[in-house]
Amino acid sequence: MAAEDAGSPGLREQIAQNQQTIDRLNRDLAKKSDQVRIIQQISSEITSTLDLDRVLEIVLRATERVLGFQHSMILLEDLAENTLRLFASRGYDPSGVGAEVAFGEGVIGVVAERKRMMRVGNVGASIAYLTSIRARLEASGEMAPGPPAAKLPGLPNVQSQLALPLLVKDRLVGVLAVESPKPNAFDELDEILLGIVGNQAATAIDNARTYQLVEKLSRLKRFFSPQLAELIVTGGADDPLKTHRREVTVVFLDLRGFTAFAETSEPEEVMGVLREYHAEMGTLILEHEGTLERFTGDGMMVFFNDPVPLPNPAERAVRMAVVMRDRVTALIRRWRKRGYELDLGVGVAQGYATIGAIGFEGRWDYGAIGTVTNLAARLCGEAKPGQILISLRVAGEVEDLIEAEEVGPLTLKGLAKPVPAFHVVRLKGPE
Amino acid sequence: MGILPDEIQPAMQGVIPSHVVTCSGDGTPNASAISQVYYVDPDHVALSHQFFNKTIRNVRENPRALVWVISPATFDSWDLELEYDHSETSGPVFEALDMQIEAIASIVGLKGIFKLRSADIYRVISVTKNVDERIPLPEIDDPPGPR
Repeated sequence: MAAEDAGSPGLREQIAQNQQTIDRLNRDLAKKSDQVRIIQQISSEITSTLDLDRVLEIVLRATERVLGFQHSMILLEDLAENTLRLFASRGYDPSGVGAEVAFGEGVIGVVAERKRMMRVGNVGASIAYLTSIRARLEASGEMAPGPPAAKLPGLPNVQSQLALPLLVKDRLVGVLAVESPKPNAFDELDEILLGIVGNQAATAIDNARTYQLVEKLSRLKRFFSPQLAELIVTGGADDPLKTHRREVTVVFLDLRGFTAFAETSEPEEVMGVLREYHAEMGTLILEHEGTLERFTGDGMMVFFNDPVPLPNPAERAVRMAVVMRDRVTALIRRWRKRGYELDLGVGVAQGYATIGAIGFEGRWDYGAIGTVTNLAARLCGEAKPGQILISLRVAGEVEDLIEAEEVGPLTLKGLAKPVPAFHVVRLKGPE
Repeated sequence: MGILPDEIQPAMQGVIPSHVVTCSGDGTPNASAISQVYYVDPDHVALSHQFFNKTIRNVRENPRALVWVISPATFDSWDLELEYDHSETSGPVFEALDMQIEAIASIVGLKGIFKLRSADIYRVISVTKNVDERIPLPEIDDPPGPR
């Protein structure tokens, strides 16, 4: 079309504008059909695996392939540290995996804190602007000079950022962020598209992380008490392995006659007895929420009130000891038929102990150290077959619950003065 | 259909600073540069209020204002006649501006010092594209392509 045919400048402009509108509508339409494609592509892939790394890779790959974002990263909430940690990225060298972002720090940190999406098209200009304000404040003495801009993971020359909180029922799982060195690289439609990816990603990531946690927990539970394993995995505010002081009730038990039995029996027989005994005792320790500190052949040390504080630790300890005696009595009947002469002795004491990880790099145990453990061990040593000897402190805690006989005072190795002790005859029945 | 065209949105992302002209109650004019004019909806924009300055004071005395915004993509520019309407200290507009300001402030160590006091909402009275007054700046070498 010749220029003069297009008529007045006004009309020409009108045509140009119409063309712009048509182009925009076409782009919008293309993006709309993208949305459907994204949903189809990602949802089937993402829900087919519980492998966290795989889920993250699928999400980032889709972010690039379907949406065309070349620089993307996923940060997940670090359950222990109350920060975000970079778990996966695409389009970065180095990858930055492992980098931390505090809540409220930078675009990603603020998105995590407020659980709201944010799109910024002028990161570079804004930083330059605020840096100049800061310089002015420092020059005028209104502000003390401080460290330069925080180092956050991402492109060094970032101009645009779009960060999306990954939420499952309003609970933050992490942040999905895309970046560009170009200003204004993302628009409202990008927000919508990334939002679709994010919704699906959040659920899949959450499932994969839960699964990971359960796996880790079940492995740890083989070595630690369930309470301790859970504390280690969920990582409360305080590290449970750090040495701390707490009042605990300690139960020692061992089998009378075990050394003689082990000397005169085949190893298979010894292992068979230990297996039966450990299985029964282990169940009871779990039921009473005790922490098994260690096995030493026929001996066991269990404590109560740590790592998880419990109501009535002394009562739990004594009730557990009584049930243990009942169970072992049943076991002994069976063992006698095979000619094994074994019996149970128990000692229970209460007091302050220093508790935490004991050992050296490469081999740590969770243990308790203090007079209380010594006293419980000595009482156990003094106990005659079928006796549960408890210290005065424990007796005071449970006197209404038990029928007891005074024994002693006993002169115990390692203790300066003779100590009173009580034998638990039985639990009082319901009145 | 609102008064602000879609194509103006890139000019409201704060890439190129904007300029605002206001008058005090006695008619004394003031011009100043501002980091960003925020797009609220097709009839409203917002200016951030961090520090009390002449612009903030003037529009509370005399609500009329004129801003000049520039698109970083095309260097097209527009004049917007505005009227100060009200200030918001909560709600989605305030929240969006506040987040953005806090995000950047936290990076440069100004968290809690440089913060949003209010989002000042202005009604757009007129929009004029400065067709014949392109900003005399060089074209930027930024071909379209993957982001």
